[in-house]
Order: sequence, then C-alpha cells, then structure tokens
Amino acid sequence: MSFAFSLNGVAKRYPHFELQDITLALPEGQVMGLVGVNGAGKTTLLRLITGIAAADAGEVRVLGHRLPAEQVAAKREIGFASEDMRLYRTQTLRWHMDLMQQIYPAWSEDYARELAKRFDLRTDQALGGCSHGQRVKALLLLCLARRPRLLLLDEPTTGLDPVARIEVLEALADVLRDAGRSVLFSSHNTHDVEQLADTITFLHKGRLVASADRNEFIDRWRRIVCQGALPSGLSAWPEIASARANGSLVEIKARAWNESLPARLAAEGLQVQRTDAMGLEDIFITAVRSGGAA
Amino acid sequence: MKLNLPLVRLLVVKDWQLFQKQLATYVLAGIVALCFLGLAESWAFYVGSLMLLIVMVAAACFSISTSLVVERKEQTLSFVMSLPVSPLDFTISKLAGNLITFAVPFVILLGGTLATVLLTPLPDGLFVYALLIFAYILFAFAISLSVAMSVESEGWATFAMIGSMVLINPYIMALAQIPDIDQRTRVDAVVWTLPAVGILISLVVLSIAVLGATTWFHARKPAFN
Amino acid sequence: MNAELFLSASDPRPMYQQIVDQVTAKVMAGDWAAGEALPSIRELAAASRVSVITVRRAYDELERAGVIATRQGKGSVVAERDDLPAALMREELARQLAALLASAARLGLTRKELHRLLDQTADANPGAASASTTRTGR
Repeated sequence: MSFAFSLNGVAKRYPHFELQDITLALPEGQVMGLVGVNGAGKTTLLRLITGIAAADAGEVRVLGHRLPAEQVAAKREIGFASEDMRLYRTQTLRWHMDLMQQIYPAWSEDYARELAKRFDLRTDQALGGCSHGQRVKALLLLCLARRPRLLLLDEPTTGLDPVARIEVLEALADVLRDAGRSVLFSSHNTHDVEQLADTITFLHKGRLVASADRNEFIDRWRRIVCQGALPSGLSAWPEIASARANGSLVEIKARAWNESLPARLAAEGLQVQRTDAMGLEDIFITAVRSGGAA
Repeated sequence: MKLNLPLVRLLVVKDWQLFQKQLATYVLAGIVALCFLGLAESWAFYVGSLMLLIVMVAAACFSISTSLVVERKEQTLSFVMSLPVSPLDFTISKLAGNLITFAVPFVILLGGTLATVLLTPLPDGLFVYALLIFAYILFAFAISLSVAMSVESEGWATFAMIGSMVLINPYIMALAQIPDIDQRTRVDAVVWTLPAVGILISLVVLSIAVLGATTWFHARKPAFN
Repeated sequence: MNAELFLSASDPRPMYQQIVDQVTAKVMAGDWAAGEALPSIRELAAASRVSVITVRRAYDELERAGVIATRQGKGSVVAERDDLPAALMREELARQLAALLASAARLGLTRKELHRLLDQTADANPGAASASTTRTGR
C-alpha cells in the first residue's frame, strides 16, 4: 500500500509547546480528519507534513518524498491551506489564480471558474475588501483547482457561517471521486470531520490520543446506564473509560465494548438498563479526560 | 541544493507587481527633487537635496518593509511558504526582488543626480560627493535588508531600518570633517581623492559582504522553521 | 444515474444504514432496475458527501442482503433477479408480520382474535383489500 504521508516517531519542540512521538500514516486515496482542541498541535503537525517545519526527531515522508529535504517536490503535489494564511489584500483573486496557474501544471482553469461560481466569489475584486468567509473560500479555491494529490487543510471551516461551511464541505467531497487523491483536514469540531473522513485522528496536548477508522470508534465505544451501587475498582477495568454515580443511577462509558460486559457488570451488582452508541465528540472528550487511549 | 529558478523568477515578478505603483511614485518624487537641484539656487539646492534623501530612504525602507515585514505581519508569508519553494529559493527571491525594486529608483535617481551635477551650473565637484551619499544609502539598505531577512521581530527590523538610515546624518558630518572631500565639493571639476575612493570602495564591499553572509546563512537552513 | 442520496446527520440511523435503506427503497420502487450498474463507491460518496468508508460498508451490507452484486473490478450492479423488488417487499412484510405477532402476544390475543382483527381492518380499508384479492388470484 502506498501512503499519502507517513510519520514515524516524529517530535517537534517549541518554547511553549511540544509535539511528541507521533507515528501516523494515511493510505493514498483516503480522507483523515484531525481533531483536537485549540493548541493541541494540529497546525504544527500539518506544517511538518508540508515540510515548512522540520521535525526535531523522527521521519516524515510525503508522497514518497523525504521531508524537509525534498519539500519542493512534495509541495508541487500538496495543496495546503491554514487558518493563519492570508492572500495579498491589494490583489484580486484573478491575480492569485494566474500566479497558481504559472506554478502548478495541473491547475484547471475550468474547475477554478466552477468553484468561483459555487462559492459565489468575484474574481476581479481586491481581496482586502472580502469577508473572512470569502477569503477562506478563495484560499480553498486556489488549493482545489491545482488538483493536488494531497490536500492539507488546517481548520477550513473555523469561523465560517453555516452556509459557507456547507459549501466548503461540499467542495471537499469532490475530491472523493478520485482514488489517487488524499485529504487531511483538521477541526476542533468532530461534526465537520466525521461525515467525510475515513479515518479519524485525535490529538491532545501534542500527543496522539487515537487514530482509527470512524466505524471502529463507534463500534467500540458505548455509554451504559445501570441501576445499583458503583463498585469500587470499576474504573480500573481496562475497558472502562469513565464511571460515575448519582445515588443508584450509574453511568459508565466503555472504550472496549463487548457482549460479555453486561453480565460482568451484573456480577458486580449493576443492572444494565440501556446501552447507547456514542457520538465522536463524546468519545473524544471521554478519551481525553480519562487520559488513556481511545 | 538546487535552485528552483522558474519559481524564484515568479516570486520576484510577484513582489514587483505588488510594488510597482508605489515605486513609480518614488521615482516621480525623486525627479521633482532633481529639478529643484538643477535650479542651482542655494534654497532650491537645500530643498532638492533634502527631498532626494527622503525619497531614497523611503524607497529603501518601503521595499524591505513590504516584501518582508508586512508579508510576515499580514500572514501572506505562510502562503508563500506553501508554494513549491525551499528556504534557499525563498531567500534568493527576496534578495533579488528587493535588489531589483531598490535598484530601479536607486539607479534612476543616481544617474539623474550625476547628470544634474554635470549639466547644470552646480559645481562638478559634487559628483564624487553624490556618489559617496548614494554609496551610504546602498550600505544602509544592505544592513536593513539583512536584518529584516534574519529576524522575525518587526521591531528589530524597523529599528535596523531607521537606525541605519538616520546614521546618514553623522556620516554627512564626518564627510565634512575630511578636507579632501569637503573642499572638492565647491570646485567645478571631478576630482578623485584617496579618502573618497577608499570610503566608496569600503561601503560597496561591505554591502556585498553583508548580503552574501545573510544568503549563506539562510541557504543552510533545511526548513523554514 | 444520479448518485446523490439524501442523508441526514439528524437521522438516528447511522449513515451506512441510511444508504442501505435508501438503495433498497430505490430498488424496490424500480428506480434502479435489475442488472443496472450502481454508482461507484467514490461517486456515491462524493455526490452524497459522505466518507468512502461509509459507502463501502453500506455496499457490503447490501451485497450480503442480496440486493446488489459486486463483480471484481467492474463495480456493483443491482442483483439480477426478476423477483428482487417482490422479494424485498416480501422480506419487509415478514418483518412487519413478526412485529404484529409480537404486539399481539403482548396484548394476549389468540390467533383467532388476530385473524378477526385483520379481516376487520381489511374491510375498513377496501382499497388495500381489493389489492389483496387480486394477489390471491395469482
């Protein structure tokens, strides 16, 4: 299997932040959603994958290129847009499109025009007068129309109104048609990533909390409501991520659900009343709070 | 490391496109200043030379500030870094772009000044003096550009620009202390003296050395940060 | 073939289940005929804006249920059984009958009482009843 990118034991230190021991890979043709709170290290991770930042330790490979040494070759096939990236205020979108066309041979003028229409963007207007949403969409247009093999988007939906957010996600879905193209996009919001992503990666405080296919998370995690007294030592069970009680009502969140769990809980004096699947957001928060792996 | 020349050229053209309007304004203002100089009246000479200095300093600072300081502050830098460029490509493009945008007003106004000195009743001895002043501006530009390329802080970059440009004042006073230079300015003939040639060569060599060292330093960086 | 399905995050069923249900409904209704090629997994994913892995899981389920057939390297087609829509409807009916029996059992109804209730309901809905008479004739 060839990988869009692979990180092996990667670390990066900044004065007030540290990304530690990241081993992560994205098979070609897949979409990965990167979820973490602000300051979790999402942007740093993306900068390492573009080759803009160099790892202090470990190996970074992107589309077969070793980074940062071969960053020029890698960046020819990467479309990277980050939240802290701005276009030239005094220039128009058309000017930026012309620049991209000269740099990227795969640039598609037709697709760029179609996107401008879908995003409701005027190409002849200086970008200084545009709203935040329009600037984000302009940046995304420049990335998408060059048809990169790897699309890296740092918080593409942050700060967008609901309509613009859907437009962005819809444009992102176009990429799914092509099996040779991969996407890594980050968000502090699980809802944005869960619909399109094949794999979901949770990052917290510079560490990888979990990375798995979306269904695996949903299949493994359960919220279990029981009646009875909370037995001591329950939270030490490896499959239990959290357990709390209010009188005789007990709520358990299991990170490794299996059919035998209700019987084992019954043996501890807990009558299982219902088991529910958990949403990704709940899974993420529970995993982060319990400190263990998801 | 191999240079991605087509892209370096594109980046230089991009910076040029961003500056061209302001650049034309500076050249225009410089030509007005030269007209004052050409009147060869003492009040006009004073106004003209002051205006010329202001225009040259402004052009030097504007180029550096727009292409480096503002790019960092307005976060268009991260856009440029996402393009297929290495740190070396980026450094070379910034160096070349700045040198070109600075060279245009510099060469036009230097040529204009020298022509004005020679073709008007102004004493021709000012020819060497004008070269000395322009050489200092070149030197201050080289220092400012190197600092702006090497530090991330807007404060230090601005400090270097203002500091090196303001020092032209003591430099002019120092020139006045050297009889070989000062006295020749009132003579209607171009005379090369040893101190003048020495200062001229030193400033040009130092400028090239500073820019060379900065490029070498950046060329060794494997990544932007 | 328009590949877009109408999926919703506020639907309590998981996304893949919504796809399974909608594809099954389209086949039952005859929108997608037997032997007709289905949209590719990636095409359906892009058009419905849902992840490839979700569509793949739905197609796996549909294949297991016999609604679609996947040929190696050629994509998926609606299963080539003339009676597929009818078979699917019969399966649906079987599920509803099982639910009916379960409800009847909870009410403590005898089989005879249930038969009588069914006849009563059929008499009250003549349209549905006539349909059932035609069917019996076959």
